[in-house]
Amino acid sequence: MKHHPEIDKYAGLSSPIHNWDPRAKLIAILSLIIAIVLIPDLEIALVGLAIALTLALISRIPFSFMLKHMMWVIMFIAPLFVIVSLTPSGGIEHASLIAVKALAAVILIFPMIGTMRFDTTVKALERLKIPSKLVQMIMFAYRYIFVFSGEFQRMFTSLTSRGFRKRTNIYTLSTTGKLIGMLFVRSLDRSERVFSAMVSRGYDGNLKTLVEFEMHTADVLKAAILIAIAVALDLICFTVV
Amino acid sequence: MEMAISITDLSYTYHDGTPALKGVSLDISRGESIGVIGPNGAGKTTLLLHLNGILMSENGKVKILGKETRKENLKGIRRDVGLVFQDPDDQLFMPTVFDDVAFGPINMGCAQEEVRERVAQALEWVGMEGCEQRSPQHLSIGEKRRIAIATILSMSPQILVIDEPTANLDPRAKWELTVLLRGLSMTRIVASHDLEMVAALCERTIVLDNGKIVADDATPIIMSNTVLLQRHGLAPASGIIEPRDRGPLLNR
Ligand SMILES: Nc1ncnc2c1ncn2[C@@H]1O[C@H](COP(=O)(O)OP(=O)(O)OP(=O)(O)O)[C@@H](O)[C@H]1O
Ligand SMILES: [Mg+2]
Repeated sequence: MKHHPEIDKYAGLSSPIHNWDPRAKLIAILSLIIAIVLIPDLEIALVGLAIALTLALISRIPFSFMLKHMMWVIMFIAPLFVIVSLTPSGGIEHASLIAVKALAAVILIFPMIGTMRFDTTVKALERLKIPSKLVQMIMFAYRYIFVFSGEFQRMFTSLTSRGFRKRTNIYTLSTTGKLIGMLFVRSLDRSERVFSAMVSRGYDGNLKTLVEFEMHTADVLKAAILIAIAVALDLICFTVV
Repeated sequence: MEMAISITDLSYTYHDGTPALKGVSLDISRGESIGVIGPNGAGKTTLLLHLNGILMSENGKVKILGKETRKENLKGIRRDVGLVFQDPDDQLFMPTVFDDVAFGPINMGCAQEEVRERVAQALEWVGMEGCEQRSPQHLSIGEKRRIAIATILSMSPQILVIDEPTANLDPRAKWELTVLLRGLSMTRIVASHDLEMVAALCERTIVLDNGKIVADDATPIIMSNTVLLQRHGLAPASGIIEPRDRGPLLNR
């Protein structure tokens, strides 16, 4: 209850990226991410990073918010950077390339899915003909992850209030193991009940929702520009070098 | 006249061997409003899950508006019987209130315009207009319950089945919900151990204990039978209970 999913916290702002058709936005920014990941050259990768930052700026999502959510990514990239720069086949330049590309890709996630409500993202995926099973999995993960984490927290609180302390011993390990096991069992029970509730209302394997997305010239234009940039980034590397 | 619900000699045992229903027989006519009361574990939820074929037992027969709950009838039966689950987190699985309330009508094959009308109407009935775009997981329990009921009302079922509608509600929310349910005209079956709400809502009450129907009568008659209620854990036992000596562990 305390922790709400936050990735779409700034979906209510208004910017050229917010009012972009969700399908065009997903495809265009995803293309850009892929293009950036493919860049073999540090300078061009820096250009990619600059473009990512520009898009983030246009989206008006506060940088403090992005930074907070990127902490764990940075914690993952930092040791990788150190290791790669120390290996003979790597070196500082290679390590920087990886770090810059990773950073750019992660930053782009914010304008991509942070600028619309999560349910809109799900519907856009659905309309883009992503397999229905996959879309439903994403949707249910989003809906129930907080129910489950709340459940885990409550179980843990109950243990702690009965004198359980985390230590480095077998007892702690086995207790935590049992807790996780219980969580699985509870989740299974819940999914059975949710499924019953869905079937009761006529669920037949497909989730149907009403949405009307409208693609305007501006939407297509924005997508075209971004995809052109994406292609250009890769082309420069492979023609110049 | 054809019965809304007709159950004959229904027994059900869960996979792990727990016998939850033992020979239940029950007839409910159209338009009736029935309370099913009983202590925890009496089998109320299990009974309700048989009413739209979520559970089907080989022992006994369940007929809804003349149709037996069998695989080939389920689609129609689930349209006729609207089941509101005990835990609204089970009932509300879509990302927005609108999508959740629209889920049933869309699956029924309604056209877009009709879906919108039904959603608007259902939300108005439960007093939650204007919440269409909110996420169910951020609602209060009272609001969740209203929306859960709206997801069923939008399908305009002939029979409304509700499991523990007032659990976890504060007195005001409970009363508002009772008033809301009393205003509906379809056949209603409400399972609860909240006698106050059942008394306000239902003409007839069934007492279920340990998988069996132990009483079935007009609500005022059941409610005034204190001995019956005490015997089935629905009213506090009379007399002062002497504290027992519980040994050294609890007497420190
Ligand atoms: N999925 C299950 N598997 C095994 N046993 C179950 C299952 N669900 C319920 N039971 C058992 O069946 C019996 C009846 O349970 P049921 O949930 O129908 O009771 P209830 O009257 O709804 O109780 P409550 O008031 O607590 O909701 C109980 O003994 C319960 O432990
Ligand atoms: Mg129950």
